[in-house]
Amino acid sequence: MRELIEHTEGINRLMARYGVKFGIYKGGEFHEQLFPFDAIPRVITHEDFQQLEKGLIQRVDALNLFLNDIYGEKKIIHDGVIPEEFVFLSSGYLPQCEGITPPKKIYSHISGIDLVLGKDGEWYILEDNLRIPSGASYPMIAREICRRVSPATFGNNSVVDNRNYASMLRETLDWVNTGGIPVIMTPGRYNAAYFEHSYLAERTGSELAACTDLFVEDNHLYYRDYRGKKQKVGVIYRRISDDYLDPMTFLPESLIGIPNIMDVYRSGNVAVVNAPGNGVADDKGIYYFVPRMIRYYLGQEPILKNAPTYLPFYEDDRKYVMEHLEKLVIKDVAEAGGYGVIFGNELSREKLSDLKKIIEKEPRRFIAQEVIDFQDMEVMDGEEKVLRKTDLRAFVLSGEKTRVWPSGLTRFSRNADSFVVKSSQGGGFKDTWVLSQWKK
Amino acid sequence: MKKLRFEYSMELKFSSPVSSHYFALHCVPGDSLRQKVVMTECRVRPSDYASELEDGFGNLKLSGCCAAPHDFFSYCVKGMVETEGMGVWKGPLHPMYRYPSAYTRFEPEVVRFARKVLEVCRKESAETTMEKAVCAMHYLHAHFEYMPGATDIRTTAAQALRLGKGVCQDYAHIMTAVMRYMKIPARYVTGLMIGEGATHAWTEVYTDGGWYGLDPTNDLHIDEYYINLAHGRDYGDCIVDRGIFLGNASQEQKIYVNVEEIKDGRNSCVNGTAGG
Amino acid sequence: MGVISMEKVDHLYWLGRYTERVYTTLRMFFHIYDKMIEQPEGIYAKYCERLNIPDIYTSNRQFVKSYLFGEDNLDSVYSNMKRAYDNAVVLRDELSSTVLSYVQLALDTFESCRKTTAPLLELQQVIDYLLAFWGGADDYVEQEDCRNILKCGKYVERLDLYIRLNYHTKYLEKEYRKLCNRLEKTNLSYKRENLERLEEIILREEDQKSCYKEALECLGGLFT
Repeated sequence: MRELIEHTEGINRLMARYGVKFGIYKGGEFHEQLFPFDAIPRVITHEDFQQLEKGLIQRVDALNLFLNDIYGEKKIIHDGVIPEEFVFLSSGYLPQCEGITPPKKIYSHISGIDLVLGKDGEWYILEDNLRIPSGASYPMIAREICRRVSPATFGNNSVVDNRNYASMLRETLDWVNTGGIPVIMTPGRYNAAYFEHSYLAERTGSELAACTDLFVEDNHLYYRDYRGKKQKVGVIYRRISDDYLDPMTFLPESLIGIPNIMDVYRSGNVAVVNAPGNGVADDKGIYYFVPRMIRYYLGQEPILKNAPTYLPFYEDDRKYVMEHLEKLVIKDVAEAGGYGVIFGNELSREKLSDLKKIIEKEPRRFIAQEVIDFQDMEVMDGEEKVLRKTDLRAFVLSGEKTRVWPSGLTRFSRNADSFVVKSSQGGGFKDTWVLSQWKK
Repeated sequence: MKKLRFEYSMELKFSSPVSSHYFALHCVPGDSLRQKVVMTECRVRPSDYASELEDGFGNLKLSGCCAAPHDFFSYCVKGMVETEGMGVWKGPLHPMYRYPSAYTRFEPEVVRFARKVLEVCRKESAETTMEKAVCAMHYLHAHFEYMPGATDIRTTAAQALRLGKGVCQDYAHIMTAVMRYMKIPARYVTGLMIGEGATHAWTEVYTDGGWYGLDPTNDLHIDEYYINLAHGRDYGDCIVDRGIFLGNASQEQKIYVNVEEIKDGRNSCVNGTAGG
Repeated sequence: MGVISMEKVDHLYWLGRYTERVYTTLRMFFHIYDKMIEQPEGIYAKYCERLNIPDIYTSNRQFVKSYLFGEDNLDSVYSNMKRAYDNAVVLRDELSSTVLSYVQLALDTFESCRKTTAPLLELQQVIDYLLAFWGGADDYVEQEDCRNILKCGKYVERLDLYIRLNYHTKYLEKEYRKLCNRLEKTNLSYKRENLERLEEIILREEDQKSCYKEALECLGGLFT
């Protein structure tokens, strides 16, 4: 392992060569940044991973059942398990998706579940990302390079190879393919995750397509060839958000969408990965209800814990939130990417009382969580080891079976006192090792 | 029961040719408990294809594309509809019709207006859902001015209330918003009304396990002289004519709508104020 | 897979052109840089005229800096390198990460040696990366069509530069043959009459100089 750390700079240099970057907008301008890699990996033991795996599969299965239910019979609402306003007032709920049965009934094919490891040794779910979770490409390529740089490290530690992500993804796409080529659709190179789009297209053997390459004809989706030939598309892994997907159904001003693709999808002639409308299940408000979903749909106790969460919507919870606001994290349900997250302990008395008023007025808009005392991880800062907050995005792929990728994206915060580990707000990433059961 | 003959046609001229023109139209009435439709003509020209599908709200949607350059686009639907009179048309309630939507948010203007309606309801001891809804319709009709051009298709219920005037779309949005504020599920409907004119919009409220239509623009209950085209949370869900194309052209649009009653094999036009 | 979109064809073609432009103009620059040792100030003017780029330069020193590295200078070698990269980065799935990395390396090298006092020392590395890119493209770009389109761009650009820089007929003929060979194998639609006229000028015209404008026009209008 020391060998690996010694070569951190070299590893980062190789990553630069492969263009491992993510884009950000600063002052209206697009910049590409390297995503700094720290060579000290997160290590998950075989036993720990087995437990995680079970819990993640359980959770994602329940979320897929929930999505089938919400855009179908709505039993969970009728049975009073989830208050309907949390579903139908969510901006992620799309009535345009009512009555559609996605191929093989899968809504969330690629789920990115964010977790943190508490000081008590327990994993806590921070949030579910069921729309277009990104980040798998970084540990994929990092592992490739690390193995090159220090074979001994991997010789001495029995680390499960994580470079199968592309084949797992391809199998997931093939499982729902309605007969045609697979394409990965990107909004373009000025998207934050463009590197990932192009890398996954290369590695899965899918065609990387922009909206102008795709068109709808007679309720089928086609890829346009320069010779005037057209190829039927059977599955589209689209990396643009629901709002922009189809200007004829959603935002009419979308210039990066495919007109009438929703008709093709509704007719069952193409699989859209992930399915439109998934936002209703990864809403910060719905998060509170996921343990209930697991009990309701699967009749099981949740294996993985949510962070302790309160919904000001319920009177008891609201009372608690009002009394303990200064020690809670308040999240605005509508915001994403680490924005709209307020730490009660950072607020002045005046700001606290302002916030209380807003919560009182719009209780449905917020959730409140206990600050989890999570384990810090060592990160190299030059020659020195420093401690940083980290989280883990686990990737769960739902195809013929639901599977967890034996790795994940471990991100760390830029500053010691920062709790926010989003790549869009600085920071870097680590490889995530899952140890195999055969020890060396 | 009445028999109506309807025609709805639209012609669009472009100042210069456009291409890759996609369209999605809610211009074909569908069968329901209150109307049975027999189409005699349904054409979109020019178009490479046009397919009919049911959308997420249960409306018929005609969508297609014309890829080649063209400077003229038109569609025409004609047919006969057997309509039923006033009534509650049984059907399930989707919970979304209980909550505010993009055009019908509970902004201060909406809340203020709805409170006034509630006051009037109390004064007139309107108690049932139906009584309250009718009361709201009368109040809205009396306190909102019909004025074409005052608003546009982006105007929300609150903005229209601020202006105090508007067209059928605004009446229907305000009515829908107020109903929902009063905890009465409601949906926005676009359709056609007897006579010559344009498309129309009104509101349906949910009561006794079904939908009942009210036309606040004309202060009328929906009867045999109306044809439903589409319904949704608000205007945004049932836009009659949605299109997108490549090209930078100005457009000139002509719409012709006519609905007339078929009586004993003879046509007669019943007085009506269509349009809105 | 055998499908290439119109957009990708465009990027492949221009990737071919810009990588070639950087490669050939850099090599050309090596000569000019050498000549500057003995020649008086301002010999770049003739070069600019030949390439038909505006002579915005004020001194040999400033020419070296601006023509090589000028970020705001649209005709600088760096600007062309950037364009090559812009076309390459959207082609990862066609080119492969391996091949794309050489364009990335060439660009990164360019950017990192902007302040150097001995530019040719480091720019040699750019030339090496570009050669590696071409070698890699031959080996790793799986679709033959992609390779052919890429090379069409390359040979169009090379011919264009060679004509402008007054290369001998024997070189022009060689590059012309290469272009025809690639063009035939693609399904690109091009103007046959342009190609035929170009052939006439290159192979038969005694006085090429008088026809050099026409030759460039034939080449420029090949695909429009």
